[in-house]
Amino acid sequence: MNSSHTIRSIQDNIALVIKGKTHVIEMAVVCLLARGHLLLEDVPGVGKTTLAHSLARSLSCSFKRIQFTSDLLPSDIVGVSMFNRQKQGFEFIPGPIFANVVLADEINRTTPKTQSSLLEAMGEAQISVDNQTHPLEQPFMVIATQNPAEYHGTFPLPESQLDRFLMRLCIGYPTLTEERKVLNRAYSLHPAEMLDPVLSAQEVLALQARVDQVHMEESLTDYLLAIVQATRQSELLSLGVSTRGALGLSKAAKALAVVRGRDYCLPDDIKELAPIVLSHRVMLNRTHGMRTQSFEQAERMVLDIVETVPVPV
Amino acid sequence: MLFDRAFTISAVLLATTAFSGLVLVQSVPLWLAFPTVIILIISLLRAEGNGIIRRAMARVTVSATLWNILLICAFLILLIDLTVVSQDLLPAGIHFLVVLLDIKLLTLQQRRDYRHLYAISLMAILASAALTTDAWFIPIFLLYLLAAVWMLLLYHLTHEPDDLSPGITSSSTAAGHATFPSGLTRRFFWLTNGTALMTIAMTLTIFFLIPRIGAGMFQKTSGETVRTTGFSDRVDLGTIGSVKQDPQIVMRVELPDQPAVQKDRLYLRGLAYDQYNGRSWNHSETRRRSLNSVDEGRVFLVRSTGLPPGNLSIPIRQDILLETLDTAVLFAAPFAERVSGEFLTVLTDTMGGLYLPSPPSSRIRYSVTSHVTRLAQDERTASTLVYPDFIRSHYLQVPEESQLVKDLAHRVTQEATTPFGRVLAIHQHLLENYHYSLENDTVTLRHPLEEFLFTRKTGYCEHYATAMVVMLRTIGIPARLVTGFLATEWNEFGGYFTVRQRDAHAWVEVYFPSSGWIIMDPTPTVSAAVSTSRWAPLTRFGESVRLQWDRLFVRYSAKDQLAVVHGVRESRDALREQASHWGSLISAPIEKSFSGLVHVAHTFRPGMLELITGVVVVGLALLLLILRDRIGLWATTHLPTSHPQLAIAHLYTHMVRTVEKHGVRKSPSATANEFARLVEREWKAASPMVADVIALYHQGRYSRTPLTASELSRAAEQVGRLQSLPHTPR
Repeated sequence: MNSSHTIRSIQDNIALVIKGKTHVIEMAVVCLLARGHLLLEDVPGVGKTTLAHSLARSLSCSFKRIQFTSDLLPSDIVGVSMFNRQKQGFEFIPGPIFANVVLADEINRTTPKTQSSLLEAMGEAQISVDNQTHPLEQPFMVIATQNPAEYHGTFPLPESQLDRFLMRLCIGYPTLTEERKVLNRAYSLHPAEMLDPVLSAQEVLALQARVDQVHMEESLTDYLLAIVQATRQSELLSLGVSTRGALGLSKAAKALAVVRGRDYCLPDDIKELAPIVLSHRVMLNRTHGMRTQSFEQAERMVLDIVETVPVPV
Repeated sequence: MLFDRAFTISAVLLATTAFSGLVLVQSVPLWLAFPTVIILIISLLRAEGNGIIRRAMARVTVSATLWNILLICAFLILLIDLTVVSQDLLPAGIHFLVVLLDIKLLTLQQRRDYRHLYAISLMAILASAALTTDAWFIPIFLLYLLAAVWMLLLYHLTHEPDDLSPGITSSSTAAGHATFPSGLTRRFFWLTNGTALMTIAMTLTIFFLIPRIGAGMFQKTSGETVRTTGFSDRVDLGTIGSVKQDPQIVMRVELPDQPAVQKDRLYLRGLAYDQYNGRSWNHSETRRRSLNSVDEGRVFLVRSTGLPPGNLSIPIRQDILLETLDTAVLFAAPFAERVSGEFLTVLTDTMGGLYLPSPPSSRIRYSVTSHVTRLAQDERTASTLVYPDFIRSHYLQVPEESQLVKDLAHRVTQEATTPFGRVLAIHQHLLENYHYSLENDTVTLRHPLEEFLFTRKTGYCEHYATAMVVMLRTIGIPARLVTGFLATEWNEFGGYFTVRQRDAHAWVEVYFPSSGWIIMDPTPTVSAAVSTSRWAPLTRFGESVRLQWDRLFVRYSAKDQLAVVHGVRESRDALREQASHWGSLISAPIEKSFSGLVHVAHTFRPGMLELITGVVVVGLALLLLILRDRIGLWATTHLPTSHPQLAIAHLYTHMVRTVEKHGVRKSPSATANEFARLVEREWKAASPMVADVIALYHQGRYSRTPLTASELSRAAEQVGRLQSLPHTPR
């Protein structure tokens, strides 16, 4: 299987729907290959859901969507044990989490209790209900979206849960010409619905295995750790990057190398991914006059810190 | 050729040069030299890969303990040598060094042994340098430097794979190293030799520039003295003959700035003799007095002859480099007026001979200004001459039993009417009727003069001169015998006379009251003494090199250095003056500036030595500066010192540095690709090269497969191309 070709095809497929956001699409694919979960954070209506939808549609995998609301219960996600009269026993009815790609729409609209029910699923890829553990199907990827502009009636995600997302992406507004292309589309149907899957679950697993084979030179590991170390020592941040964050960055860098058709990492991979992978894991120092933590601020901080770390020769 | 083999060969060559240096200072006795030569030959054959030697050496296995015991024995022998045999640290130390050298050559296996061999050779060459001032040291030293550079370089190269930088995994090291040629390439060969040459050039520069404290700390005081006979109070007839075959060099006489002087022969006067007893010549007066000195004791004035200046020819200035002789006599062209040199005092006798108080212990250099006397015209034709009493009483003595000689003298001169005519007649008679031959054993004869004149009719300079003096005296003309050297070997390369032992000569000085002593040489010219072979120019050239060596290196003293510094300062001042002069000239009218320039051109003469030194230093520095990048580049790709992963990293650094020189700066936190984009924006022309190098860099530095040699050289090529781009970033 020509991996670069397949990866190219999935990106092209998504690009049919999401116009002009090649970088975001690429990152989404990287996240998939790195076995990570994706947090899309942007204002409403720029295509967060569409991106998740298209990615799921491009894979011939099961796809479930959960619309998070304030009255959503954990059992609505993971499923319930119901009494089956015919069998005279409890039967587990799996919830929407049992799918290859799960879209958690407006994740910050639900209560922390429900949010945390996602935790186990995202971290261990399994679900425990009534002392019974149910493994989730592989590949498994959660794509969550949230709206940063509106805070009323939201429950910001706890740090522990944020840390479980491999990357946080912002889609942003399209350019004028791209927006025109979107408007000129002549379908009444949701564009993602007409996409054909280009990748089977098996192929995704194979690609994920390939990511593990990517060679990261020792000096690059040092570089990565130096960046992580710098976030922990920076005065701008009150909380640095966790070891899970470092691990995630390493994985993501390897995945990006595969996406870019290499079997080895470059400093560029790490440097490019650092803001996306690390910015949602750090906390800005409140003494620096920033009461609220916005996406752009954190990303800029991480970028500044990365710029202080010399690239190995 | 494989590096290992080249390394061993260069090590053996190094040992050979060091050893030959010791042999040439005659510090290695035969019993030690002979086995060492054999060991050197064996080592060379083994290093060269001779199968027989290798097998034989493999069969003989000697334990390390035995070698250690041998070493201890050698050290004990050194102690004995030091305390009993030679009782001198230097010879004993040299013997020990040679023994160590032998042992090391035989046990040359580990890298440690090579290091030891290098140290021993260094000490050996230092020892021979301390013991000699001869010119043959030049080739030995140059060879030594060459071999040393080779050995050190190869030592490093063969050493390198053992300790690579820790950043590179060992698995990729093994894979990557195999892609490099492990043998000598042509470029490597020339680079190494070039390094050696550069080293020599630097050495020379440093030699002329570093401050010095003195010369020849261990200069040998014995063994180099030239034994010369015939320069004492007494000359036995026949003694000069014994040295007439000896080609050893006695002195070199330069005639600076005197093109007018004849270059075919030059008499160098030693001593004059007035008393002849029938067998030997000696002095009637042995009194000597010191010469008056002027100019802070460095110039000595010989008593003026008191003759009218019209009788004197142009002065001849000679710079004489006198080898160590067993006589205190200073030689000079007749007749010396001024002697200058580093002497405390110079003595003279009544007949114009010049002496030092004692024979010098080392080679000396001095200058003499002489005037050759000419026979006045009136004395040439005068029929009678009146001699002063002092002359009559000293220079008319003849041995008693010379009636035959007297008759011969009268017979020969009966047709001449003037004293000068008689002198010429005797001179002519001796030249025409006698044959020059060195095969005379006259020392045992009872009457050597009569034998020569009437029986054998063959002899050499002493016989001719003695005969002439005695015959002149019997007819009443004062004369005396003079010994010295007749220089005939003009060295056109160095501009000096080479005087050898075999040039020892005796001639006659005849007295004329108003002209003084006139030189007459009754000996027929002998051409056989001078070598006429095809190689003569070559040997003369070698001779002149030796003289230059002596002047430039052995005699190069703190004073000379000071002179160089003064010269530099003076020419700098002169330059400054010229500069200000030019500055004023710019405002002046054109004609005036033109004449000023002509004036400048006439007056501006920087000293040659400082000019050359300056040019050499500046040139070398410039060359290094210009080639620095190229050399570094070449070294990273062509020397297998570094792993390809390191090599490409070096090249990448080179490239970044090169681009930065053109004003496109890379921040430390920028990745290679970011830098490439920057270059693309800022300096379009360099972009393709940079992109190519970066692609190779990424592949070679971060992937699992190291770059091949061809890819590396492609990267180096691109960097080279980048370096030769014109200086035009956007």
